[in-house]
Amino acid sequence: MIKIKSPRDLGAGLLFIVIGLGGFYFGRKLNVGISSRMGPGYFPMMLSGLICFFGIIVGARAFLLQGPPIDKPQFRPLFFIIAGMLAFGWLIERTGLAISVAALVIIATLARRAKPNYVEMIALAIGLAIFSVVAFIYGLGQTMPAWWGK
Amino acid sequence: MDLGFLNNLVDGFVAAASLNNLMFCLMGCMLGTLIGVLPGIGPIPTIAMLLPVTYGLSPLTSLIMLAGIYYGAQYGGSTTSILVNMPGEASSVVTCIDGHQMAKQGRAGSALGVAALGSFFAGCVGTIFIAAFGPPLAAFAQKFSSPEYFALMVLGLVTAVVMAHGSVLKAVAMILIGLLFGLIGTDVNTGVQRYTFGVEELWDGMDFLPLVIGMFGIVEIIRNLEGKEVKREAMSTRIRDLWPSLKDFKDSWKAVIRGTAIGSILGVVPGGGAVLAAFAAYTIEKKVAKDPSRFGKGAIEGVAAPEAANNAAAQTSFIPLLTLGLPSNAIMALMMGAMMIQGIAPGSAVMQTRPDLFWGMVASMWIGNLMLVIINLPMIGMWVKLLSVPYRMLYPAILVFCMIGIYGTSSSYVQIILTAVFTLFGYVLVRLDCEPAPMILGFILGPLMEENLRRSMVLSRGDPMIFLNRPISLTLLIMAGIVVLLIVLPQFRKTREEAFVED
Repeated sequence: MIKIKSPRDLGAGLLFIVIGLGGFYFGRKLNVGISSRMGPGYFPMMLSGLICFFGIIVGARAFLLQGPPIDKPQFRPLFFIIAGMLAFGWLIERTGLAISVAALVIIATLARRAKPNYVEMIALAIGLAIFSVVAFIYGLGQTMPAWWGK
Repeated sequence: MDLGFLNNLVDGFVAAASLNNLMFCLMGCMLGTLIGVLPGIGPIPTIAMLLPVTYGLSPLTSLIMLAGIYYGAQYGGSTTSILVNMPGEASSVVTCIDGHQMAKQGRAGSALGVAALGSFFAGCVGTIFIAAFGPPLAAFAQKFSSPEYFALMVLGLVTAVVMAHGSVLKAVAMILIGLLFGLIGTDVNTGVQRYTFGVEELWDGMDFLPLVIGMFGIVEIIRNLEGKEVKREAMSTRIRDLWPSLKDFKDSWKAVIRGTAIGSILGVVPGGGAVLAAFAAYTIEKKVAKDPSRFGKGAIEGVAAPEAANNAAAQTSFIPLLTLGLPSNAIMALMMGAMMIQGIAPGSAVMQTRPDLFWGMVASMWIGNLMLVIINLPMIGMWVKLLSVPYRMLYPAILVFCMIGIYGTSSSYVQIILTAVFTLFGYVLVRLDCEPAPMILGFILGPLMEENLRRSMVLSRGDPMIFLNRPISLTLLIMAGIVVLLIVLPQFRKTREEAFVED
């Protein structure tokens, strides 16, 4: 049986191959043209091919060279940070900057494994919300809704 | 020798010394020091975060400020390394080794003083280096046309791969992925849309803010949160007498000069820059020392050389960008992005069409370095106090500024979603040991490389031999070939692996 010696290399190789194949698939309608008149698909196809090629090599090495295992991902930080970002994106045009910032801060503080200090969390949310509105909207004159809606 | 550059330099000082530019120079240096001192946030996300703020500024002013952040971070990073034994900045990792030992022995003041003064000296030399070598290089680059530019980019990317740490094959793949992502948007020649998936926000190409902030800034936060929470405690030793003693001067001036020389050279090399320079300088100090066993026990050379080197490199890494239009590392790619947003195509033409921009920036670097010595030495207590702000309060703030930065430039929530996507992508890459930095280089060079390849091919009617028939492009490609060969040599590979290991 073939043994996977380096899981990180295997993962990277597979990821590269997927990206390369994605490049081919999503660019399949682009006209490649000829080398003296390169079409919009020429360079992308070249790159996709090369990415697949390197993906295969990196992936193949996983069976030959010893490597460390993939660290187990911790979902808590990843989930709450991304959730906070998406909440900000969803809220910004609906409720304005102040509330979006507060929501982002509150969700982001949950990303820590330790039990959150709720007083500190609320204080930080309010503080950063006020600071953001004052500094970015009034101070730097950026155009975004401070309070409700556009 | 042609001393014409002195006149230009005077003009540069006049441009840089306007009250407005001085103010933004100071702001950049302060911000740079701030993020340098604070572990967990580096110059890449900071510059990315501040890009939107620079839209309203003049090109020179914005470059002055952004550059200040980069070299300012080199100063600030040493403070944390010495006092907390934790690198404030990746380029100050080696400074921890001897710097913190010195602090433990009650010589924190000397270490900080030598680091700042060494950096200042290196900064001055770096500035002269740019002023002296920039113009001839730019004049040379005027002879370049598409095939030469294509060959130059190949050389730059190949060298960047070799200089990056980690797997070479993965770095090559990352560059290629970056090049591919760089092509997203409407093809300039045919108007055909590529990889836009019907998302209107992608028609003009992918913004690089979501990519950079997601993959560098936010992934960094997630990784910090995954690690154990460390309490940062600054040494409370007396740091009042910051002026190093005469003996310290005697012990360190040679190391400063060596560090400056190494840094100046490694800054210009694609893929080099502040981090590599600091590591290399430390290794060399250990090699030339009469008594290498002193290192790790508070040798002043171990602070002086890397700190001089990282600052020199931070400055000279602007040379390839300003003269050839080739960013040598991820930060320079960001600078290139900042220039392009302002409607300036970085490259040899800048020196002809906008000499004030080149010379103003060079002059501002010297002014900035002077400011930094003042910011860092007498005001050090203030920076140390900042270290007591716990990370649990810091990271939500960083996150907020990142989001506002992205939304502020685009006024579109789609960019926030893209940032989330790239955060996830960057996180997967880190888990799989793939360095994201080469991807940024590819991303920014993608469209340029395609355009130059296309033009070369039109020129030669589709014959790829054009790259070998022209002397300059042939030379560049031979150099690239030599770099590739180097990596195959076992001796070189060993040195490369050692370069990033601090013992």
